[in-house]
Amino acid sequence: MRKIMKPLAASATAMTLALGTLLLSATDARAESAADNYKLYCVQCHGSAGTGKGINAPFLSVAPRNHTNAKDMGELSDDNVFKAIKEGGVAVGKSTQMPPFGGLLNDAAIKDLVKHLRGMCKCEGKK
Amino acid sequence: MRKLSRIMAFMIALVPALGAPVAFADGKSLVAANKCGDCHKMAGPSAATIAEVLKRKAPDLFYAGSKFNKEWLVGYLQKPTVVRPGGVVYLNNIKTAGDTDTVGSVDKCASKLSAGDAAQVADYLMTLKDASMKAGAFKKGEIKSAQARRVLFKEQACDACHDFGKGGGLSCPTMVGAGARLNPDWMYSFIKDPVHWDPKVWMAKRDFDEATLQLIVNFLVTQ
Ligand code: HEC
Ligand code: HEC
Ligand code: HEC
Repeated sequence: MRKIMKPLAASATAMTLALGTLLLSATDARAESAADNYKLYCVQCHGSAGTGKGINAPFLSVAPRNHTNAKDMGELSDDNVFKAIKEGGVAVGKSTQMPPFGGLLNDAAIKDLVKHLRGMCKCEGKK
Repeated sequence: MRKLSRIMAFMIALVPALGAPVAFADGKSLVAANKCGDCHKMAGPSAATIAEVLKRKAPDLFYAGSKFNKEWLVGYLQKPTVVRPGGVVYLNNIKTAGDTDTVGSVDKCASKLSAGDAAQVADYLMTLKDASMKAGAFKKGEIKSAQARRVLFKEQACDACHDFGKGGGLSCPTMVGAGARLNPDWMYSFIKDPVHWDPKVWMAKRDFDEATLQLIVNFLVTQ
């Protein structure tokens, strides 16, 4: 009996571990790169070039921010950008047409997105 | 000989009649015969990574019985219309000129079932339910159009992504005909927690209170 139990216990542990990592990677939004998150969630409005000309843009009354514009993006602090993504445009005194992504992306993933945007504008956030 | 073929014809006619009480069993074989599963996921789970989403050819159907109204399915399966003006996964249909994106060609559903087959497939699809969805969550109430419009278009800008018949976003399903198409209990559940249905949905999850959810769904039912 003991002989059978040991390998059984070992394989059960291995399976739990495997399942654990599987679950972790499925729920950790950071498993996706910021570039991929940008594509899936932001390109619909901000466009594949990031200049604000996505397929939804013609139907918006406010133009989505041009993420490649160093001057416009340079005027926003990293905290402001983080807050706009997490809580939406309204939270930073901008349009409701910029939706809140806090329900889809965790803080770490949003921080990665802020970094990604800084790469797109080749600019630093206002201090 | 004549007599024999008549008896045969009678027996063939009898087969579907006998099968009628378990119509969804035939619906299931029609789904297999028509290769619906080549494009649609007929079993869960939904795509869990962006890489998987990009491979999606058609919407998930493994919870069709929770999502759709049966009458709508019967019509749609005979003559599909465009539900998603930007395609199933808008990212796969973008044409870019300069820095401006537009929608390229969009595929409709390939289903071209006869009225009889459509009814049987719809019966089968209606058996594919998500047991965790609460039936009766939607409470039919007064339709407060002006108030609903304020929430949907002014406060939340749902029309940034969805077309409500007056020109709206292209990256998501049209809301025109949502009332005929979708089960109101499912709409309630989806708006409350879109991620439960699709972990990688590109729709923001918002924290609506109960009254606002009822206000929104009562309005969508009229669309
Ligand atoms: C439904 C369309 C839409 C989507 C989807 C969208 N945005 Fe926006 N975004 C806008 C609009 C419109 C504005 C401009 C708001 C204004 O100027 O009032 C904006 C503005 C912004 C700003 C500037 C905020 C400020 O304070 O000026 C940032 C940063 C931003 N978006 C990032 C993102 C990121 C990152 C994503 C994806 C996770 C995203 N947006 C998805 C429409 C959208
Ligand atoms: C060649 C691929 C393909 C095949 C085969 C196919 N479909 Fe579809 N189906 C699609 C696409 C693409 C859409 C989305 C169309 C849209 O959004 O406008 C769709 C949409 C649907 C929808 C609406 C789903 C929703 O969430 O809006 C249903 C229901 C459906 N199909 C059922 C079926 C059935 C049943 C069969 C088999 C008889 C079938 N389809 C075969 C591609 C296919
Ligand atoms: C950033 C874009 C975006 C915004 C803004 C948005 N949605 Fe969505 N919505 C989506 C996507 C993506 C889907 C699912 C796509 C699919 O099934 O192919 C969806 C699906 C839906 C559905 C199910 C429709 C169907 O036919 O399958 C309902 C109902 C809905 N949204 C309601 C709303 C409401 C109400 C609002 C405003 C509070 C809203 N949406 C705002 C992107 C958006």
